[in-house]
Amino acid sequence: MSPYRLDHRPGEVIDRARDLTFEWNGETHQALLGDTIASALAASGVRIFSRSYKYHRPRGILTATYHDPNLMVQVGDEPNVRAGHRRVEEGMEVDPQNAWPSLDFDIKASNRLVGRFLSPGFYYKTFMAPRPLWPAYQKVLSRFANGGVVDPETVPGRFDHRHVHPDVLVAGGGPAGMAAALAAADAGASVILVEEEPSLGGHLRYGSQQDLATLTELRDRVEPHPGIEVMTDAVVTGRFDHNWVSVVQRDVPGVTERMVKARVKCLVLAVGTLERPYVFKGNDLPGVMLSTAVRRLVNLYAVRPGDRAVVLTANTSGDAAIADLEAAGVEIAAVIDARTGGGIHEAAGSKELSSVLDSRGRRVEADLLVTATGWTTPTALSDMSGGKNVYHAESARYVPTGLPDDVMATGGMNGDGSTEQLIEHGTATGAEAARRALALRAVWVSRSPTGGSAQVTVADPQPVPPLVPAPHPAMFRASTHGFVDFSEDVTSKDIISAAKEGYDSIELAKRYTTVGMGPIQGKLEAVNALAIHGEATGIGLDDGQTTTWRPPHSPIRLGTLAGRKHEPVRYSTIQPWHEAHGAVPLLAGQWVRPDHYGDPAAEVETVRERVGIIDVSPIGKIDLRGRDVPKLLDLVYVNRWENLAIGKVRYGVMCAEDGVILDDGVTGRLGENHYMMSTTSSGAATVWNWLDEWLQTGHPEWDVKITAVTDGYASINVAGPRSRDLVARVTDIDLSPEAFPYMSVRTGDVAGVKDCFVWRIGFTGELSFEIHIPSLHGLQVWEALLEAGSDLGVGPFGIEAQRILRLEKGHFIVGQDTDGLSQGHGFGIDELIKLDKTDFAGKPELVWQAQQGDHPRLVAIQPEDPDLVPLEACQIVGPDGVIRGRVTSSRQSPTLGRSIGLAQVEPDLAVPGQVIEIRLPNGKNARARILDSHAHFDPEGTRARG
Amino acid sequence: MLLIVCPHCGPRNSDEFTYLGEPRTRPDVNDTDPATWRRYLYMRSNRNDWVTERWFHVSGCRRYLMVQRHTASNEIRDVRPLGETGS
Amino acid sequence: MSRAEANGHNARVPHPMSTTPRFSAWKLFRQGMSRAPWPRVWDHHDLEPTYDVVIIGGGVHGLATAYYLARNHGITDVAVLEKSYIGSGGSGRNTAIVRSNYLTPEGSRFYDRSVKLYEGLAEDLNFNVMFEQRGHLTLAHSDASLRTMRWRAEVNKLEGIDSSVISPEAVKELAPFLDISDRPRYPIVGALWHPPGGIIRHDAVVWGYARGANAMGAHIHQGTEVTGIDVSDGRVTGVKTTRGDIATRTVVNCTAGWSSLIAAMAGVELPITTRPLQAAVTEPVKQFLHPVIVSGSLHTYVSQTARGELVFGASVDPFASYSTRGSLEFTTGLATHVLELMPALANMSLLRQWAGLCDMTPDFAPIIGPTPVEGFLVDVGWGTYGFKAGPVAGESVADMIANERPGELIAGFGLDRFESGSLTAEKGAAAVGH
Repeated sequence: MSPYRLDHRPGEVIDRARDLTFEWNGETHQALLGDTIASALAASGVRIFSRSYKYHRPRGILTATYHDPNLMVQVGDEPNVRAGHRRVEEGMEVDPQNAWPSLDFDIKASNRLVGRFLSPGFYYKTFMAPRPLWPAYQKVLSRFANGGVVDPETVPGRFDHRHVHPDVLVAGGGPAGMAAALAAADAGASVILVEEEPSLGGHLRYGSQQDLATLTELRDRVEPHPGIEVMTDAVVTGRFDHNWVSVVQRDVPGVTERMVKARVKCLVLAVGTLERPYVFKGNDLPGVMLSTAVRRLVNLYAVRPGDRAVVLTANTSGDAAIADLEAAGVEIAAVIDARTGGGIHEAAGSKELSSVLDSRGRRVEADLLVTATGWTTPTALSDMSGGKNVYHAESARYVPTGLPDDVMATGGMNGDGSTEQLIEHGTATGAEAARRALALRAVWVSRSPTGGSAQVTVADPQPVPPLVPAPHPAMFRASTHGFVDFSEDVTSKDIISAAKEGYDSIELAKRYTTVGMGPIQGKLEAVNALAIHGEATGIGLDDGQTTTWRPPHSPIRLGTLAGRKHEPVRYSTIQPWHEAHGAVPLLAGQWVRPDHYGDPAAEVETVRERVGIIDVSPIGKIDLRGRDVPKLLDLVYVNRWENLAIGKVRYGVMCAEDGVILDDGVTGRLGENHYMMSTTSSGAATVWNWLDEWLQTGHPEWDVKITAVTDGYASINVAGPRSRDLVARVTDIDLSPEAFPYMSVRTGDVAGVKDCFVWRIGFTGELSFEIHIPSLHGLQVWEALLEAGSDLGVGPFGIEAQRILRLEKGHFIVGQDTDGLSQGHGFGIDELIKLDKTDFAGKPELVWQAQQGDHPRLVAIQPEDPDLVPLEACQIVGPDGVIRGRVTSSRQSPTLGRSIGLAQVEPDLAVPGQVIEIRLPNGKNARARILDSHAHFDPEGTRARG
Repeated sequence: MLLIVCPHCGPRNSDEFTYLGEPRTRPDVNDTDPATWRRYLYMRSNRNDWVTERWFHVSGCRRYLMVQRHTASNEIRDVRPLGETGS
Repeated sequence: MSRAEANGHNARVPHPMSTTPRFSAWKLFRQGMSRAPWPRVWDHHDLEPTYDVVIIGGGVHGLATAYYLARNHGITDVAVLEKSYIGSGGSGRNTAIVRSNYLTPEGSRFYDRSVKLYEGLAEDLNFNVMFEQRGHLTLAHSDASLRTMRWRAEVNKLEGIDSSVISPEAVKELAPFLDISDRPRYPIVGALWHPPGGIIRHDAVVWGYARGANAMGAHIHQGTEVTGIDVSDGRVTGVKTTRGDIATRTVVNCTAGWSSLIAAMAGVELPITTRPLQAAVTEPVKQFLHPVIVSGSLHTYVSQTARGELVFGASVDPFASYSTRGSLEFTTGLATHVLELMPALANMSLLRQWAGLCDMTPDFAPIIGPTPVEGFLVDVGWGTYGFKAGPVAGESVADMIANERPGELIAGFGLDRFESGSLTAEKGAAAVGH
């Protein structure tokens, strides 16, 4: 069943009592709990896991980790799953991704025969002519997309986010990371320790008996420590400005994945090193593996990775792999020791490795070639922290330097040492990280509004003496050429030829050859690519040329990034009634509002002939109090405010400093020093901030208190000839025309609700009362109005009816009939703009606009065909097809029985009676006439004033 | 997401704030010409250096603040209320 | 006397393109058989003490300007100065979307010319820039945004550009992964459909122009940073660089996000703020998305490359910065919005994010033309649209240098509009619902 499964290994992570069954490539396979997909398949003797991108070469295990470029598989509806990391689950369906028709026989593998023509960037040099054939070429090229399949029926999992604020976060749970976490927590810091593998330990996990003993001892101190939260099977994916750190947790019960967003006071990087592949002919054959891959397979998963091995070793990891292989019963056919001048020439085999030719010309039969040729520092997180990588020639690897004071590095990332030395360095680093974090915390706690404030800067950082990277032979490429980037099928020859062609900075070569652009993101290949590129250009690794690793450190599912859906909407307190009465919802910015209740034209009729009520709660409401409110109003509105009497309301328009119309609405004076401002619903927040800006940055000495009360009041507009009759039935406020004239405000009880205020205004053009009710009672008043007015023919109306009503009256809507260039003049409010006021926002621009006079004009239009409604945004054209304006609003008017509109036109067209041509979406022109006022209906405004 | 230590509210994520950029001196509206006024409206020094700029703690204390930030590193070294002078 | 000479330019005889061997399938085959190395695509040169024209910025704008100066006007005594490697700025960081469905007539005309140039660019440059006209869909999620889409469509049609408003059902046919039900917070109520729009290999555009300009004699100086601009009596006289000084009477600033700093060296102030614009790419998957998808309300655009990756972009960062480090809130917000549009993508993984620097103007339109300093020209303020405009900007700037005045296509894009107050109406589009 599992011919390559070994007897018990002391550090194994599999549970031999728990058999699992899963599918691979349509066949049933066995696994043990704790197996990765790759280890389970390797135990069954599977050697080919994927086909490569360009040449469709068979590929097998290389690193046996998350970052293995050859182990990308499809699991159910999930593409690009890392088989070297993902644990097998019962019933899992796993498929290879890049093979057709099968892994064993892949038709596109014929690309290998033409490989010499698929030089880097070959597509830039051909397929250009004939041009009509280019779309066909595109189709062929895109078939080669290297990845899994997205299932349109994918059921998104449950994803979550969590926010944390630890003093210290340690990335990497190896010996140094565990020691750092312990030291920091012992010093009183709150610590999060993040480990990518399912358990702590790092390289100790697949190490010697002594390593395992050390691991147990450290783990037994870390796990119960009250100051440390351990996250395993979790990875730090990014470090962003001001130590904002993202962690993806993969093993949280109840959710598919969770993103942890950590604001960290001091970040400790203890991410170890990655083993670097070696470049030589045949280095991608299944059976060629890194020493750490072999050690993981043998020691963690009890899998025998082959039968007969050749080991190329330049370090202790290779030596340890030899011992592990011997213990696993693998025949060691040859050991090539690079430290004593040994080398390799090529690995050979058709689909899998069958022999190895060393640099002395000796050919050895083998099904396993293990390489241990060096280490790469995974500097993604230090790069993101602003660190610079310096090449350390003696150890043939980069080390990060220049980290900011709130980021520290320890362990293999920092240098080498015995396990004891690593722990010692981790301990020193953790203690210093805690000291820095706690000092910062103290500064934040002791801030004062007048003392300024220290930000992320750490005072008095004490350096921790670094570990020294151990000497290592510099090994990147043998005398033969091989693959540098396994995911992208880029060879050393490709990189050299790109450099010679002129792509002679590494960034150009990277883009041209795509080396490092695949799913592994250069983690394995970046240093080899730099070294090999340097062979052609003469640029050494120590010449400061590196490529920058960008976030995320590991790929993150979109679902995990998104987390739970947080797209809040706002409803008025009357919403339950709307829903119960068939309101068709309209999304208007954040608000969901009733568009209509089935028949907008009938709703218009209700308002024009009887009485209608509309829920206008989203209207912005800002409570202004203080002696200097009129001064502020004078500054932000174009019109005059100082003489507004108590109990009066006034319409006002605001312009920005460039003179462009910002918002409009009415403001009423409720008391001696008390005003209420209304704004458009979409402009409520903007106006609120705008008022604060003028007050705080311009006139902090003024006595004005600003409170936004939009949510504090439900608002109902009661409109129609019978509105006075209706409102009178529910309030004691005297509504008579004499006591409550047009453009006034009164306060009082409505339908038993105290502290209401009522405007008498008329957006619809009808007699109307706008009632603002403490919001909890909105529904109560709404229902009371409907009940009280049943014999008056009262009915609700929605936004669509309101739009028609206001268009019949020719009232413009800011942002629809105006746009980002619409300065104040030209919209029928010229009279309002008081250029003789001392100061107001946008005044100079409005002065110059009035002087120039060539601005567009808003006009009312009526198409000659009364049944034709030219769609909003249709263009108004001259005889030559040149644009001379556009329709900004249009509707069929139920009141007039004809189509009506508003339009912006060039000034010379804005002549009453002028006929204009409107270009319709179907390409035909329609004629329309310009009216002499904005109002299509009741131009004198007698109805609203009645 | 930057961390801005609001002098009133403490350390907060920058998405609680609105960025207003370089503070500008508003010309006297009654004694200006188009060139001067539009320089105030549109021209920016846009420096790649330490800058002092306005932020508004819109989802917090709703106070305008003066922030010293480096536009390359985004490092912030000082935050204080409008009108306070500092280093 | 040629026009270039009449204008005082030294009309060096352009090196004919034929001295650079042509790329073709046959050539690829021959090279594959012989395994001989390909010739260099561009050369190294010493910095000359003088050039007729110095272009600052080795991105698509600078290189296209150099190319069209030589190709259209015979002006080849040209240096392109690039502080890093060519295409290292916005040209290599954008999401490579090309379209012309702008809101204003002048914007539409201008970008339409760019699309036309892009369509012929592979043949013109003999370098396959992989322009895939997959079509471009701008989704509308509300009545207000549908109105803006119609505005654009109607203006585009009047300019002869293929652009129309289509129904949610038609949207679904073009992009079956989109959720057109009423379940989303931002339902799809229609879209602007622009068939000529598409994606392109941005690096190839940079390299193609560089190769073409180099072949005709322009000098491309990589690793050459400008440290100062000499101005005397109100006109440009030279440029200081990390590799030496150059005397010249014509300097073009094509440095996008860095343009304020370069302009300041000449004493010119610009109405520009630099904002990072972030982008991201997923791991590759098999093809499933043909057109480019844009949602203005959700600040998101998505396309799938021939390699199978999804490329995402968003709106500019909320504050000015010269940082290209990228942020977490960009990717979390982006993922939320992408899944709002296409919920089935939850298991796709984001692979890499990056940022470029955008030179934002108050009216979202570029600034091309002269400045108060004579001989110091700007081709800046491209904001988030710079890459799309590369060819037409290069052509227009070259034309402006040769004829010593801005042509009709760019007449509305002068720096003086920020003094006269005649801002372009793209600001109108930005202010109303997207």
